[in-house]
Amino acid sequence: MIRLAGLRVHYGSFAAVDGLDLDIRRGELFGLLGPNGAGKSTTIRVLIGQRRPTAGTVTVGGYDVVREWAAIKPLFGYVPDRENHFEEFTGRRNLEFFGQLYGVPKMRADVVLKMVELSEAADLPVRGYSLGMRKKLLLARALLHEPHILYLDEPTANLDIHSAEVVHRILRERVKAGATVVMTTHDMDEVEKICDRVGIVCRGKLVALDSPLALKQVHTERKVDVTRPDGERLVFDLDSDRSRGELAAVVSGGGVATMRTREFDFHATFLKLTGLAFD
Amino acid sequence: MRWYVIRTLVVKEWQRHLANRGGIALGLLLVAAAVLLSVFAPGESAAAGTGAVGGVRHCFVEFDRPTPLVKHLEDNRPPGLKEQIIFRQLARPDDVNALVAYPTGTAAIQLRQTFASESPTGRATLAVSVRHPDGDPAALAGYEAWLWKELRRACAAGARRAGAAVGDDPNFDRDDWALAEAHKRLQDRAAAGGVAVPDLEVTRHGLGGKVLDLRSAVATGLVVFALYFTCVYLLPTLNCEERERGVLLAQALSPASPAEIVAAKFLFYPAAGLALALTIAAVYKTAVLSSLFFWLALLAVGGGFLGIGMTIATLARTQKAAFLGGMCYLLTVSMLLMICSMNHIPVLPWLAVEYHGPRILHAALDGSVTPYHWYSLLGAAGLAVAWLTAAGWLFRRRGWQ
Repeated sequence: MIRLAGLRVHYGSFAAVDGLDLDIRRGELFGLLGPNGAGKSTTIRVLIGQRRPTAGTVTVGGYDVVREWAAIKPLFGYVPDRENHFEEFTGRRNLEFFGQLYGVPKMRADVVLKMVELSEAADLPVRGYSLGMRKKLLLARALLHEPHILYLDEPTANLDIHSAEVVHRILRERVKAGATVVMTTHDMDEVEKICDRVGIVCRGKLVALDSPLALKQVHTERKVDVTRPDGERLVFDLDSDRSRGELAAVVSGGGVATMRTREFDFHATFLKLTGLAFD
Repeated sequence: MRWYVIRTLVVKEWQRHLANRGGIALGLLLVAAAVLLSVFAPGESAAAGTGAVGGVRHCFVEFDRPTPLVKHLEDNRPPGLKEQIIFRQLARPDDVNALVAYPTGTAAIQLRQTFASESPTGRATLAVSVRHPDGDPAALAGYEAWLWKELRRACAAGARRAGAAVGDDPNFDRDDWALAEAHKRLQDRAAAGGVAVPDLEVTRHGLGGKVLDLRSAVATGLVVFALYFTCVYLLPTLNCEERERGVLLAQALSPASPAEIVAAKFLFYPAAGLALALTIAAVYKTAVLSSLFFWLALLAVGGGFLGIGMTIATLARTQKAAFLGGMCYLLTVSMLLMICSMNHIPVLPWLAVEYHGPRILHAALDGSVTPYHWYSLLGAAGLAVAWLTAAGWLFRRRGWQ
C-alpha cells in the first residue's frame, strides 16, 4: 500500500531521512518509532505531500507522491501532532466545513463526533476545548471521509487513559475495515498494544522492522535475578549454557530466597536499538 | 475549479468574520462615519474644497518668455516658499487657452509680457493669471503676497533705472504694505487740497482655525481605507493566522486545490472591500454609483491593494509579521510620497498605488475628473496588474509553507 524506496530528505547538509526503505501493507496498523529528530515526522511530511524527497521514491496505493499527488490526496486522512482547528467555530462547524470540502453528507459530522465521544461538546467553540478534546476532534476530522489510509502523528499525546482507549479502538476498527494506519508515537506500551508491525528509525535510518513481540523476543535480555537467603543478589543469563548450569545448581541447593525472570521490556529494546542507552 | 469548494471556502471566511466580529465592527464604523458626513453636509458649495486633499503644496510660475522681470522673481523667492515655487516656461505661450494639467495639490500663476514695441496700444503690458483650486480662491494667498511685492519692487527699480522719481519703496515687511501705500497716496492728494485724512492702522490676528471643508477628503479617505483595511490588513493577517495555526495546511490536504483556496480568498476580500467602499461612497454621494470612472477607479485601487495584500501574505510567516508588514509598507510608502511631494521629485510617486488611488477616487467622488485623472487611473491599473503578477509569482515559488 505504501512503499518507500531509498527515501532521502535533506535540510541543507543535514540528512533528516537517510535512505529509508519501507513497505507498509494494506490493512495493517504500522507504528513508526524513534527518538526526537529521528526522521519520523519528516517521513510523514513526505507521505502527506508537504515535503519533496531529496532522493528515492515514495508510492501510495501505486501512485507516486510527487507526480500523482492529486490521485493520492483523497485516499488519506491526517492527524497532525499539533492541533489545527478554527478556534472560533464549534466542533461540529469545523467538521461540517471539512465535510463539505470532502463532499460528505452533513450527518457524517455527527457520526464521527459520536465515534470520538465529543457529541456533548459538539456545539461549543473549539477555543473552549481541552487539549484531549482537540486531539479527538482531529481524529474525527481525519475520519470524515472514511479514508483508506490514516496517518497519525502522536495521536494519543495529552489524552487520558479512557480517551486513549477510544482512539485505540477506533484505529483497530479502521484496520479491521481494511484501512491502513501509520502512526508515530513515543508510547511503547501503545506500540506493543495495538501495532501489527513497528519500524524503529534512528538518525534517518531504519534500525529495526518487525512485530512488537518479535522485536522484544529478539532484543530483550533473557535473565533471571536471584536473591539468596543472606541477601546476596545474583544474575543468570539464560542464553549462556554455563550460566544456566549455575542457576540450576543454586536452585537445587535450596539457597534461593526470591527468584524473578526479567519481563520483556519494549522500552529497553527501543533504547538498545537506537543506541541511546545500554551502550 | 469546483464551485461547491469555492463556495464552502468563501462561506468559511464570512463565518470567521461573523464569529470574530472585529472586522465587521470596523466596517460598520466606517459606514457610520460616512453617514455622519452625509447628514452633516454644510451645503454643496462648501463641499467643493479641493484644497482639502493636500492643499497647495506647489505653485508653478509659468512665463511666456524669460525676461529680467522673471529673473528678478526667481532670484527673490522667499526662503520659506523657495522649494514650493517652481518656475517653468509655457510650452505654448501664444495660446492662452492651452491645456496644462495641474496635479492635485498644485496651482499656478501665469505671466505674459507684451513689450511696448509689440503692443497695438504702444504700452507694455504684464498679464497675470492666477490659477487657484476651484472654490478656494484664497489658497494662493501666500504666493500672491510674494508676487505682488516683488512685482512692485522690480517695476519700481526699473523705473528708477530709467530716471523716474518714484520715491522710496514702501515698508514691505508690513503685510498690508499695499493698503498702506494706497492710503498714503490718498492722504497726499487730500492734503494738497487742504483736507486731512486720518492715519490708518491695520492689525490682523489669526483665530487659530481654518476655513476648510474636509468632507470630500474624509469621504475619499474612508473609501481608500475600506479597500486598504480589507485587502492589505485583513487578508494577510487572517491568511497568516491560518498558516501559523496549521489550518491552511489542513485545507490544503483536503480535496480543495491550492488554486481554489487562493481563488476563494481573491473572491472574498476584494469583494468585501469593494462592497464596503461602495457603501461608504454611496452614503456620501449616491450619484457617484452612476460614474464609470468611479467604478474603474475602485477596481484599479482594489486590485492594487489586493496584490499588495497577497504579496505580504505570501512573504509573512506569522500573523504578527503580516500585521507589521502591512503597517511598515504603509508607513514606508507614506514617507516616500511625502518626501517626493515636499521635494518635487517626479516619477517615483507614480509607482505607488497610494499616489494614484486617493487622487482618482477623490476626483470621482468630487465629480472633477480631468484627462489627468484618466492617466492616473491607467497608472493605478498598471500597478494593480504588476502587484497581482508579483503576488502570483511569489505564491508559486513559496507555496503554503
